[in-house]
Amino acid sequence: MIQLLLFAWFAAQAANSSAAEHMRAGLQARQQHQADVEIEEFRKATELDPNLADAFVNLGAAHMEKHDYGAAIAPLKRALELSPDLPAAHQFLGYALLAQGYAAEAIPHLERVGAQDALGIAQIETGQLTEAVANFSAVLAKRPGDPDLLYYLGHASGLLSKNAIDTLLAAHPDSARAHQALAENYFVLRQMPQAEKEYQEALRLRPELPGLHLELGQVYASSAQWPKAEDQFRTETKLQPGSAEAAYRLGSALLQQGKPREARAELERSNQLKPEMPETLYSLGKAASLDGDSAAAEQAWTKVIDLEKETSLAAQSHFGLAALYRKQGKTTQAQHELQEFQKLQGAIGPPRSE
Amino acid sequence: MVRRFTRRDFLGGAALAAASPIFEVKPLRGIDFILQNSPTPQKYLIETMPGGVALFDYNNDGLLDIFLVNGGKIANTLHVPENFDRAAPRYWNRLYRQNRDGSFSDVTEAAGLAHAGNANYGMGVAVGDYDNDGYPDLFVTSYGKNILYHNNGDGTFTDVAAKAGVAGGGWSVSAGFFDYDNDGHLDLFVTRYMEWDADHSKICGGDWHTYCPPAAFPATTCLLYRNRGDGTFEDVSERSGIAAKKGRALGVAFADYDGDGFTDIFVSNDGMQQYLFHNNGDGTFKECALDSGAGLTSDGKGLSGMGIVFQDYDNDGRPDVIVTELPRELYGLYHNDGGGAFSYQSLETGLGTLTSGSSGWGVGLEDFDNDGWKDLFVAQSHVLDNVQQIDASLRYKELPLLALNHNGRFERADSGVITPLAARGAAFGDINNDGWMDVVLSTLGGPPVLLLNRGGSTNRWLSLTLRGTRSNRDGYGARVRVNGQTREATSSGSYVCASDKRLHFGLGSAEKASVEILWPSGRKQVLNDVRGNQFLEVREPEKP
Repeated sequence: MIQLLLFAWFAAQAANSSAAEHMRAGLQARQQHQADVEIEEFRKATELDPNLADAFVNLGAAHMEKHDYGAAIAPLKRALELSPDLPAAHQFLGYALLAQGYAAEAIPHLERVGAQDALGIAQIETGQLTEAVANFSAVLAKRPGDPDLLYYLGHASGLLSKNAIDTLLAAHPDSARAHQALAENYFVLRQMPQAEKEYQEALRLRPELPGLHLELGQVYASSAQWPKAEDQFRTETKLQPGSAEAAYRLGSALLQQGKPREARAELERSNQLKPEMPETLYSLGKAASLDGDSAAAEQAWTKVIDLEKETSLAAQSHFGLAALYRKQGKTTQAQHELQEFQKLQGAIGPPRSE
Repeated sequence: MVRRFTRRDFLGGAALAAASPIFEVKPLRGIDFILQNSPTPQKYLIETMPGGVALFDYNNDGLLDIFLVNGGKIANTLHVPENFDRAAPRYWNRLYRQNRDGSFSDVTEAAGLAHAGNANYGMGVAVGDYDNDGYPDLFVTSYGKNILYHNNGDGTFTDVAAKAGVAGGGWSVSAGFFDYDNDGHLDLFVTRYMEWDADHSKICGGDWHTYCPPAAFPATTCLLYRNRGDGTFEDVSERSGIAAKKGRALGVAFADYDGDGFTDIFVSNDGMQQYLFHNNGDGTFKECALDSGAGLTSDGKGLSGMGIVFQDYDNDGRPDVIVTELPRELYGLYHNDGGGAFSYQSLETGLGTLTSGSSGWGVGLEDFDNDGWKDLFVAQSHVLDNVQQIDASLRYKELPLLALNHNGRFERADSGVITPLAARGAAFGDINNDGWMDVVLSTLGGPPVLLLNRGGSTNRWLSLTLRGTRSNRDGYGARVRVNGQTREATSSGSYVCASDKRLHFGLGSAEKASVEILWPSGRKQVLNDVRGNQFLEVREPEKP
């Protein structure tokens, strides 16, 4: 960025020829990565011509190059006094102020140049979380997958979420939503008895609230209380017959209890509601296999492998197919699938136990 | 009009309820043993692992006696080399002789079994007549040196481990006698858990301060000893191919799963793939669990394999495998499909709902209700003594699992135990010779627990004692079929335990049984019209 700011032509136009010489020397030092010389030359240029805005910008830039953001702020501010529209000065000053913890002061400068990533960070600092999320989302659309942006978007979203929940708990502590929020928190912390208690209280207050039974079912599922989980998931499927997740969870709970036929029905319904979900297809394969329908199991697992090339679900599907073929006496195919399973295990690590 | 509930209805219901086996939790009269696992703040993993129980008739008086393996004293900070002071009587292994009145007498000192020697922290026990003299011998595993006690036939035992060459070393857990080369002499297999010592011990769980998972320590190999027939054994672990596979082995069980006439070995490994060592019949073994479908769960995941049983649960004539696990994993049931293949059928058989929240150790498939189907019994308790703090849905002490077998599907039944236990070992046998299989459990820091089966139905039974002549004298490795049921003759399996070697069959309402024995020597013996409700010794015919 800084390398782009070679203001050579400004130097050539400098009124004071001596200041121009120092500008040239400063730019030369920059090219030779002699930061201290660069700073000294630009400083002399500003002393010889205190109205030379570009000299102040370059001096600020030189300090930033040395990560001396505190020293950069004064010359950059002076540059903007002399020439309020200099984009580079706004950008550097915004960065310098942000780096020094002056987020609120940095924001107008960053807004001026549309530096959305840095602006988002400043907005997190000043509590403008909605704006921060919007800015990070916009930049991510241009730079998808950028790890820093993903982190900051997640961070901002988390804080936004926390703020909303804090407000909910403060304003409506006895509401069903407050109990649901507490339950979700306990669930994440694996404090299942507390989570169960809060979900039940939320359900007492608003039994029709979508999602509550699903989440309570997951509490039971996490501690392998499958009949209880089944009850909750079944209630959720009645409340939300169009929810693929509710059908999937119900199917999985049934599968865990060795009820393959019922499990298949729910998993097939989930697959119709939201086709080609690898998790659903994998479980569908298991249910079909348990139900003795090898062809359906083979079809489901093959589909998973089509969708997921190098994931643990793909590995598990190869393993399932190996067992299926072994049972059918198709030794060569079984061996092939086992090798594929082992190959994937080597690449992605063994599937973890629950 | 609502029909009135009559007294007959009530009695009918009561009779149905009584059809379930009822274990009565009984104090073992005369047994004052406490299993000293000596837990420390240092959370040495060995503390979580003992201790063995053997049900065997050491003096051939027709009554089962009990041998109990003790842990040992652990200083809060172990010294290197570890001492495990076993001199004090509370740390001794114990032998209790059963008296005619059902009580037991401590004969440890008289039998020469007092003080197992320092530097050994006791783990498990195996029983077998390795010298075919008609008296069962004991093999005791330890963290440290293992001990082979020769039964002198006069009520005493002699430590012959050094002479026999089976002292081993490292951390041995379960062991079992079997005849892998069908030469008529019992060989010995020993599982070893991991490379561990006090110097390299760790504490895990951060603030929870608890025991580490097995993966925190290096894997190691099991031991196989071939019986030379002269009172000594040869370590053939390398030559046989057993040592080619490193694992974290806890349990071991034997059966000829593919019917080729040679006994195979299933090893339960903790936190990884299970091992099935196929006996090639030439003194070597090939590990083939993954290829056979018995290595992982149906999702391709490893198992926290602890206890193991290798018997036919669905009466199709082929031995199946059940491996006990930690919670969130189902106890692994591998159905023997024939042709050397297994399929994972924990869900199909009902083990999913029965076992997904429990930790299983000792395990047995025994026909507790004598209906002709082998039922499942598991000693249960979590490894971590503070697991409830870490996961509130789990408990350290658990009730044992009794699951009755209804045509190959297991359903929970009342074990009769009402106080949760930190159970480890489970040995099975008919303690009081009443025709109903009983259970003895070992519990960490506690006394052994006897679950006396009071029967409760008119079902008949048959108990067979095999007397090998060309085969090993115990008949281990024989496949015995009785009225459509099959048992592999063994006292091994479960976890760190040795069960009654007599083969118990429930006959249901049948008064007579047809018995078919395929001896390890290859001889086949058929007995027809065998009367039920009897203990019968069957001698292997010396001539074909």
